[in-house]
Amino acid sequence: MTPCAVTTGFFTLGKCGQMAVAGCPACGRALCADHVADGGLCPECAAARNQFGHPAAAAAYRRRAHRHRTAQEYTDVGWYAGLDTYDRAPFDPGAGADQDYLDDGADALVDS
Amino acid sequence: MFWGKQKAAIAGFHPLHQALVWQRGFSATQPAAGWAALIASLHRHAGLVRRAKWALPPRTLDVLVPLILELCSDLGPKGTLTVAADLRGRDVPGKTGPSRDLPVRPPVRSATETLTVDPWLRVRAELRDGSILELLVVDRTRERRIAKRNPRGKYKAKRKSKSIQIIKVRRRLAKGAQSRVPAAPPPAWIGVFVREGERRSVLATAKLHRLPQSGQEQVDRILTVATEPFRWTPQAGTGQRSES
Repeated sequence: MTPCAVTTGFFTLGKCGQMAVAGCPACGRALCADHVADGGLCPECAAARNQFGHPAAAAAYRRRAHRHRTAQEYTDVGWYAGLDTYDRAPFDPGAGADQDYLDDGADALVDS
Repeated sequence: MFWGKQKAAIAGFHPLHQALVWQRGFSATQPAAGWAALIASLHRHAGLVRRAKWALPPRTLDVLVPLILELCSDLGPKGTLTVAADLRGRDVPGKTGPSRDLPVRPPVRSATETLTVDPWLRVRAELRDGSILELLVVDRTRERRIAKRNPRGKYKAKRKSKSIQIIKVRRRLAKGAQSRVPAAPPPAWIGVFVREGERRSVLATAKLHRLPQSGQEQVDRILTVATEPFRWTPQAGTGQRSES
C-alpha cells in the first residue's frame, strides 16, 4: 500500500498515511481520496495556485504562510525547513504558483 | 411575536453557538468533530440572523474560529480541545478592580487609577504527540482620572487609559519526549521559561504594549507566541522529500 504523503497538522506535523489512490499531477506526491484537491492536485499545489475550494488546501496555505512568517520573525530557518520539500516547492518562484511578480505580460515595460 | 424567525433560527444553532449569542461566551471541552460542528453553525449565523443585538460577539469569527481550526488539526484521535471564551468585553461587572487614589499636588485635586483585567480566552489542547498546550490571553487596561481646579474656580476632569495584552502559552511535553534548545533565540518581545522535570514544560510569554488592531493581527500574534514551545522539539519534516 502506498500511503498518502500529504502533511497534516499545524504545529505538530505528520503525514496522512491513508491509502493513496492518485498522484498529484504537478509534484507527483501520493494522495488519498480525502486529499485530492481542485484539479486533482495535492493541497499544497492547489494552494499555490490560489485554489482554495478544498479545506486541506486552505489549511496548507495557512500552515505554510505561518511557518514562513514566523521563521523570519524568529530568524530560524530550521522552523520553515520543518515542512518537507513537497510542502515548500510549490511556493517557490517559478514553480507554477500564482505570483504576479513573475511576469507582467508581453506589453509591460518591466516585470515587477 | 417579534423576531420570531430569527429566534427560531438561533434555537436551531449549535448549543455553544447559542451560548455565544445569549451569554457572549462559553466554556466547553470536546473533540475536533464537535468543534467542526460549532464552526459550521457559526458560518450560518450571518445568513439567518440580522438583528444587531443578536450578532456574534467581536473576535468570534476572526480570532476564535481560526485558532480552533488550527489547534483541531493538531489534536490526536482521542484528544480534546477545551476553550473558555469570554467575549463580553471589558466593561462588565467583575472585571474592574477597586479604584486607587494616587498622590497629587495642586492644581490637581484628585487622581484615581483603576485596573481592568479581561482574561477573554483560555485554551487547553491535548495534542497528538502527547503534549498538552495551554494558552491564555488577557487584556489589561489602566485608566487614570484626574480632576483639577484653576485659580478662577474652573473645574476640569480628564481621563487617560492604556491597554496592554498578555499572551501566555505553555506546552508540557510528553513523558520521555526528546527536546532541544532552539538554534536561535525568540524575538525580544517573547520571553521563555523552561521547567525541567519528568515532563519538560516550556512557557512562552509576551506583553503587547498595543492591542492588535485586527482579527488577523490578533491571530498572528497568538500563533507567533505559540510557536516558541514547538521549536523545543525536533520537527517531523526533515527538509527532504519523503519516500512515497
